[in-house]
Parts: sequence; structure tokens; C-alpha cells
Amino acid sequence: MEEGQEKVCYYVFRNVRKGIKKMIDRVKQRSGDALKHALKSLWMIMPMLLAVIGLIGLFETVITPEMLKSLFNGSTLREIIVGILSGGVSVGQPFLSYAIGGELLHDGVSLYAVTAFILSFVTLGIVQLPLEWTLFGTRFTVLRNLLSLLFAFLISVATVFVMEIFL
Amino acid sequence: MTKQTQKRKPGKSGLIMLAVVGVLYVVTFVFSPETGKNALAASGAIIKMIAPILLVVFFLMALLNTSIDAKYIARHLGKESGLRGWLIALGGGILSHGPAYVWYPMLSEMRKQGARDGLIVAFFYTRSIKLPWLPLMVSYFGLLFTVLLTFFVIFGAWVQGLIVDRLSRVGRRTKETIDF
Repeated sequence: MEEGQEKVCYYVFRNVRKGIKKMIDRVKQRSGDALKHALKSLWMIMPMLLAVIGLIGLFETVITPEMLKSLFNGSTLREIIVGILSGGVSVGQPFLSYAIGGELLHDGVSLYAVTAFILSFVTLGIVQLPLEWTLFGTRFTVLRNLLSLLFAFLISVATVFVMEIFL
Repeated sequence: MTKQTQKRKPGKSGLIMLAVVGVLYVVTFVFSPETGKNALAASGAIIKMIAPILLVVFFLMALLNTSIDAKYIARHLGKESGLRGWLIALGGGILSHGPAYVWYPMLSEMRKQGARDGLIVAFFYTRSIKLPWLPLMVSYFGLLFTVLLTFFVIFGAWVQGLIVDRLSRVGRRTKETIDF
């Protein structure tokens, strides 16, 4: 290899190495900053998260399926409203809502109310409100929860209505 | 809304809330130690359950800050995101795992970086579709019910997102008029 070619190779190699080193340094710094930022964000919400978890534990223990069942008696409209409200205050794994809903259906509660209960069980959450409010603000929290309430009603009616057409 | 969120200190309100819950537990323990113990055990079980999901969310947040910038978020989930934005929000909601509150920090971060409120609302609503639990739903209520409910939830999430976006636009316009 000639001297000129050697020099070109050397400069190319040096610049590529410099570039890679710079890139690695930037990635290192950015990921370090990002991890710090993520950790700080989680640390900031940790007290609220723990408070919400504590509330969920209390609600899970105090509000029993039997208590919920005793609320359902009356007209379909009233049962739907009770379904939405009781689903909103209930907490737990989604399969619990199916199990409770199945039992309610077995006990003669309308499918409209059971559907409303299942929907609001997952989409509404009174105990999560403080955390949602802290992170998303009042307007977003109020709007989202009001829409969830309204749509639990609309979707339960639409689902059972269409189902009755098919059956 | 953004100003409000920036002014509020999550740490402070969280500490107050934690203190209130602490007092509730003390009261429960005084009146019914058994209930208090069960509630504490239930909370412990929840922490155990959400810990791995929280870890995933933590790394997703870090990833969001490292490789995905505000421009990227705005393009995929912002005003001009179009159909792609809806598909990401609706699909993400269906596929996301664990309780909704675990996802709050990441979604609030994305919102700060320009994600639309409508898409976040749609994400939250489609979270009510729990893919792993669908077979159980079928066994309790039948296939037709499950299919119809899933369809209406997705449709409802989209409509809610549209409503929120529309209201956000109206709110912004009103604010601009008042400022002017």
C-alpha cells in the first residue's frame, strides 16, 4: 500500500472510530438521563400509587360479592345504574367481574345490568381517581370518567339489544 | 390543563393521600383487626402482582425518553397521527397488561410530549378488553355476547376519543379567543 493510501485509510479509520465513540457516549448519556428521569417520575408518584394500592386492598376486603348482589333489585333501568355504580366502586382482577356477573345473572339480574357492571368494573375506578387526577388534571379525569359512565350505559344496552335480535 | 398539571406536585398530594389511607388502616385495625389484616394482605398481593408490570413500564418510560422524542410522539399520536394513531391507541389498550393505574405515568409522559387526549382516552377504554380472560367470558356469557361486547367497546373507545378531541379543540379555541 502506498503512503498516500495509508494516510487516507488512517484518517478514515480515525474519523469512523471518533464517530462511533461519540455516538456511544451520546447514547450512554441519553440513556442515563432517561433512566434517571423515569426513576424520578416513578418516585414522585410512588406515595400516591401506594395509597391507591392500600385503598384497593381495603375495598377488596370490605366490599364483598354478597354485598353487591343485595343491591340489585328493581326495574331494568335501576339495575343498570346500580350495575354501573357498583362496578365503579368494585376492585379486583377482571375475571372477578365475570364470576360475580355470572352469579348475578343466575340470580335473575338482567343481562343489561350485568354487562354494565362488567364494563364499569374495568373502565371506572373510584379508588384510582386521585392518581389519575394528579397525573392528568381535573378536566381530563372528569371528562374521561363521565364518558366511561355514559358509555357503560350505552354499550350495555346496545350489546344486549343486538344480542336479542340475533337470538 | 397542561398548566394545571405542571403546577400540581404529585409527591405532595400523594403523601397527603398516603397519610389518609394510613389513618383509614389504623381505624380499620382498631375496630376490626381481622379486616385490617386481610386488607393489608390484599394490598401486599397487589404489589406483588404489579411489580413486574411496573418494571416493564419503567423501562418503556426510559425508552420513551431515550429513543422516542416529542416529534416522533406528535407524528404518531399527535394531531396529525390519523388512522395510525387510532390503531396504536386501540391496539395498545387491548394488548396492555395489568391494572390501568400502572400505565398512568407512561401515558402522562406521552401526553406531555404531544400525544392527543382522545387517543389516551381510547387507550384507557379498550383496556376493558382482556384478551387472556376472553375464554372465561365466553364460558360465562357465550360467544355472541363476547363478540358483540368486544366490538362495541372498540367502537365506543373510538367515539369517546373523537368526543374528547373535539372538546379539546373547542376548549383551546375558546382559550385563544379569551387570550386575544
